[in-house]
Amino acid sequence: MLAALSLAVAAYAACAVSIAQAQSPRAIIDGRGRAVEIRDTSRIVTIGGAVTEIVFALGRGDNVVGVDLTSTFPSTAQKKPNIGYMRALSAEGVIALAPTLVLAVEGSGPPDVIEVLSNAAVPFVVVPEDHDEASVLRKVRFIAQALGEEERGAAMEKAIAEDFASIRAMRERIGKRRKATFVLAIGGGTPMVGGAGTSADGFFALSGVDNAMKSLPGYKPATAEASLAAAPDVVVTLLERNHDLSPDAMFALPAFAETPAARGKRLIPLPSYALAFGPRAAHAARDLAAAVYPDLALPDLPARPWTRDASAGKP
Amino acid sequence: MYAARAIRYEVRGRAILDGVDLRLTPGKIVAVVGPNGAGKSTLLKIMAGERRATGGNVLLDDRDLTEWKPADLARRRAVLPQSIEVVFPFLVSEVVALGSSQRVPRSEAAALVSRALSAVDLADFGRRVYGTLSGGEQQRVQFARVLVQAWSGEGAYLLLDEPNASLDLSHQLLILRLARTHAESGGGVLMVLHDLNLAAMVADELIALKDGCRIAAGPPEHVITDQLIAALYGVHASVRGVPDGPFILPQTARLPA
Amino acid sequence: MSATITIAAMQPLPVRRGGLVIAAAAVFLVAALLASLAIGPVYIAPGRVVGTLIDALAGARPSEGTGMRDAVVVLDIRLPRTVLAMLVGGGLAVAGAVLQGVFRNPLADPGLVGVSPGAALAAVLWIIFGSAAAGYLPGSVAAFGLPLAAFAGGLVTTVLLYRIATREGRTSVAMLLFAGIALGAMAAAGTGLAVFVASDQQLREFTFWTLGSLGGASWQKIAAAAPFILLLIVGSRWLARGLDALALGEAEAFHVGVNTELLKRVAIVLVAAGVGASVAVSGVIGFIGLVVPHLLRLSAGPSHARLLVGCALLGGALLIASDIVARTIVSPAELPLGVVTAILGTPYFLYLVQRNRAVLGG
Repeated sequence: MLAALSLAVAAYAACAVSIAQAQSPRAIIDGRGRAVEIRDTSRIVTIGGAVTEIVFALGRGDNVVGVDLTSTFPSTAQKKPNIGYMRALSAEGVIALAPTLVLAVEGSGPPDVIEVLSNAAVPFVVVPEDHDEASVLRKVRFIAQALGEEERGAAMEKAIAEDFASIRAMRERIGKRRKATFVLAIGGGTPMVGGAGTSADGFFALSGVDNAMKSLPGYKPATAEASLAAAPDVVVTLLERNHDLSPDAMFALPAFAETPAARGKRLIPLPSYALAFGPRAAHAARDLAAAVYPDLALPDLPARPWTRDASAGKP
Repeated sequence: MYAARAIRYEVRGRAILDGVDLRLTPGKIVAVVGPNGAGKSTLLKIMAGERRATGGNVLLDDRDLTEWKPADLARRRAVLPQSIEVVFPFLVSEVVALGSSQRVPRSEAAALVSRALSAVDLADFGRRVYGTLSGGEQQRVQFARVLVQAWSGEGAYLLLDEPNASLDLSHQLLILRLARTHAESGGGVLMVLHDLNLAAMVADELIALKDGCRIAAGPPEHVITDQLIAALYGVHASVRGVPDGPFILPQTARLPA
Repeated sequence: MSATITIAAMQPLPVRRGGLVIAAAAVFLVAALLASLAIGPVYIAPGRVVGTLIDALAGARPSEGTGMRDAVVVLDIRLPRTVLAMLVGGGLAVAGAVLQGVFRNPLADPGLVGVSPGAALAAVLWIIFGSAAAGYLPGSVAAFGLPLAAFAGGLVTTVLLYRIATREGRTSVAMLLFAGIALGAMAAAGTGLAVFVASDQQLREFTFWTLGSLGGASWQKIAAAAPFILLLIVGSRWLARGLDALALGEAEAFHVGVNTELLKRVAIVLVAAGVGASVAVSGVIGFIGLVVPHLLRLSAGPSHARLLVGCALLGGALLIASDIVARTIVSPAELPLGVVTAILGTPYFLYLVQRNRAVLGG
């Protein structure tokens, strides 16, 4: 309570500054097809790791007044007030930060809260989301436009497009594609795997890896037999969620015990930003490809301002 | 007129009651006696409308009991079951007040409740929690509830299942006197009793049940005989008499060898 | 005579002041209402809250500046949320009291015995398949589709529960809880089954159904749920004498003139309506239906005429208070409301179980 109160007071103080920074109003059609008018970008709440990274990369990190739980990069973002899990937002919690703009990745929720926020006084912009290359570039362009940072956005888009081109070149060097199974979680020994249409599926495609569980739609718990029959060459898990899961434990599961992945003990932890299709997607794809195809000795992509933590907050 | 005719009651093909007749009339007390499992309580439940006979019928005011609405029936007869467990911490006065129908104004109902509690010698128990009372006290509270129900009805019949099972001697006599008072004021009474002596003392008519059949009926002095005791309980006893009616002394009774 | 140790009646109670308790519950409700409108992550001075409400009543609503923000927070977020909390809390508490009366058992909480999970399963099924069915239904039915589906789910579970747990008018505590666990597990299994056909977006919404939240309160939701919940709260008034009589036993209730079959049917339909609508708009919120009736029975006595009114008031007040905690304690994020009520309610439930050890055969 006290914390909330002092926060609100601080928000008031900051409000006074924002008027001086007001820009000319701009209209934008957001991810839901709604026209939203943006007048002021001095106090931004970002929802979704990719959105937060792009806003910081565009040099507007100082204007961010609140982020969600999935926004962990750059590390300065973690010092901002946190509004909780992106799918369980609190309407008044967001408003309490006195934002002049809310940028939320598509899929933020719950829908009723999004509805309340969209009808509130604050411009609420849904950033369109998809699980492919084009979506990354579209997000950058979209957010740059929303913030009036078109110039910086164009440069960023160009650099990311170059990275994607490098990735494409790498993919062409792959001879025989390997199959991977993405394991989101192991609930009671039945792994929740990523099927067709998931972010993991999209990310595998980007990395030049075949999805062994393509026959399933969405994230689903798969039977041990189906997992076995898919015979993945590697098993990929989330770094943040399964950091304490050893390859021995994973491959002791009947679902994976007799797969090619188990024989080579190939368990690759994937950082969660890889699935967010943010500005670091290409770098993450290169890292996964390098891990799946060690024999190709794939080169590093050039470091970008948005892949370096220390400098990410500064222009 | 409140009469059961040729009552048959079967549970899974086994007859609990078979062809039992019973007639209650205003001003009279009828007592049903018999050994355990004879069907006494079942007969009372059928009379109350709580169970439906599989054969025969019960008529009240010339209408079949099954045609009565529960609320109308409640104004014509009140029932005291054997033992009652009240969930939730109801007060004694609240339990007793459940006997009064909604037609009775609240102030009048309160007066009936305190009158009934005084009648059963529990005048100061109104604010006590029912569940904290002893078994005998609870039974008297229930009897008070039945009295309130009878008083709020119209010439109501009382159906009492072992009304003095866990009472001390003075309260047993009290309950029987209240039943008699009710009969004298023009109500009919049916009681199931275990104690032959009490039954003989209080009843105008006795009905003896064994294995679901009525084996004797009539005034106590005709019904209670050495032969009946032997037939009912398989016990040899010699019936004695005083001016108030017949009695047996358990000291004189003998199990067959 | 058999031992007549009765549930929750093992200790003598002090003199009750029913009227006073009801008045206190009403005062608590009003206080909670005002606090809920005044407290939140956004600081708005109480005077401004009142001013905003008065302006709104007069039809005036500022369209810019902090005035507009305050209007949004007070009128669009806090007010519908508070009203919904009052309805859902009151409805769940009354539903708990009615269920407990019908089952003659103080442990019958709609969440605990599977009624709410059953309603939640039906709601989830409606979300997945209902949108397809809604096309074939008249508009008015489609608008109430979610609460109606939850109502049907709650009704089916309650009837099943009654059939399983009750024999000849007597409900066994153990059977009630076992049947409740089984029905709850079945509902969870059904929800798990639904997972296979649900889209990822629908899947994410499922946590809402299991943990409960008032985060999405809106006037549309209130309009959809209020008729069902009010039906329960107002309708239960006519059940009061019958439920009192039912405390003596089913046969005994019939003896004093209660149409017990009708009473039970009406009670079950009302409970299903109220619980179903509550679940449809706020997910499964446990323990309100357990804690509130029990507290009131201790303080105001078990007589249902008073108890049901008290439940509507205190249930509303308690859920509003829980919701204030849920939305301020980790501000600007928010706790699921079901977590708060469970933290409050679980120890209380264990205490009740402990006190009923003899009856439960522990």
